[in-house]
Amino acid sequence: MTVPVSRIGVDRLDADVAVIDLFGEHDLTTAPEFSQRLDALLGEGLSVVVDLSRSTFIDSSVLAALLAANRDADERGSGFVAAVPADETDGVRRVIEVTGLDQVLTLAPDRAGAIEAVRRGRDG
Amino acid sequence: MSAPAGLELTIPAKAENVAIVRHAVAGLAEALEMGTPNVADLKTAVTEASMNVVVHAYEEGVGPLQVLAYRESDALVVVVRDFGSGIRPRAEDERHSLRLGLPLIAALTDSFAISGGPGRGTEVKIRMSLSSNGAGRGELQEVELPMGRGTEMSMPAGELLAPVLSRVISILAARANFSIDRLSDAVLLGDAISAHAPDDFPEGTARIAVEEDEGSLLVKVGPLLKGAGDRLLDGMRIPQIGGSLERLADEIRAVQEEDGEYILLRISRLPE
Repeated sequence: MTVPVSRIGVDRLDADVAVIDLFGEHDLTTAPEFSQRLDALLGEGLSVVVDLSRSTFIDSSVLAALLAANRDADERGSGFVAAVPADETDGVRRVIEVTGLDQVLTLAPDRAGAIEAVRRGRDG
Repeated sequence: MSAPAGLELTIPAKAENVAIVRHAVAGLAEALEMGTPNVADLKTAVTEASMNVVVHAYEEGVGPLQVLAYRESDALVVVVRDFGSGIRPRAEDERHSLRLGLPLIAALTDSFAISGGPGRGTEVKIRMSLSSNGAGRGELQEVELPMGRGTEMSMPAGELLAPVLSRVISILAARANFSIDRLSDAVLLGDAISAHAPDDFPEGTARIAVEEDEGSLLVKVGPLLKGAGDRLLDGMRIPQIGGSLERLADEIRAVQEEDGEYILLRISRLPE
């Protein structure tokens, strides 16, 4: 039986890119903090990777936060990529696909791929 | 009409409590051998329905969120209910909009129905087949839900008690920031209580109250047969190492209630 935990980690890779890691389960309880952290990083002009590869559950408030941050990044010309396992049976991938957000968000199958994509987007 | 035998959970409608619902229902679904993808979808549907209650049901203060889950042929039915003012979409911070909530429930479940209205509260009834092939569609039936108070749960005292109780204890201990070791102590104690179900429960139903109080978990389980408390403590002894699971708890005692004997367990975050 897995222990249900819920953690948000922020890793500043350099002056241009930061990674927010949503570890474990995230819903309306943690979505406000997630939004605040996203706002702060994007507000500093950073490009952001959201690492969902170790998320075991996300709800619609987390999806809403992702969507809002995506729009914000777009307006600022900053990169915004979410790392989501490509496995279609993965619960997190599933809610993103069922809601059609896979057509709106830029996704990569893992953290390294997302970091590469966000740097490419920034430089390209 | 009384509710069919199943899991009943009543908790304060706060966002951080929705994880309890999610895990109790997932525990029941897994114990009924629901396919993994369906369990994941059910967790989403139940979370969305519960969050609707947290956000919309009560204008002032915190009211009850009530969940009933029961097997019906080869599906699990989950009812999420509040006693508030009725779901009314209100202008709110766009970031936490629930525009996606109801469509998600619709997309991921075999069927769902919403009923209720102003002053009558709202009820969302979800049906999810146990197997992944979508079998088990049928008509949802009306049920009367009994009123509950606080953080309480009741369910048949059979083989499903252990997985559900261990999940609920685990989520509450994690939320109270128990260390991994202490969390697994708490779960072991829960398992010890469930081990002799259904024999120890004269009514065939286990009533469980779990509460977090300043870094301690209080777990009350019953009604038990008279003397079941002593048998439970005997059952915790581990002769091979001369010890007892009893030492993991800070307090275990039997309390008499109107309807029988209950075991009261106190497990603090740090062993005393």
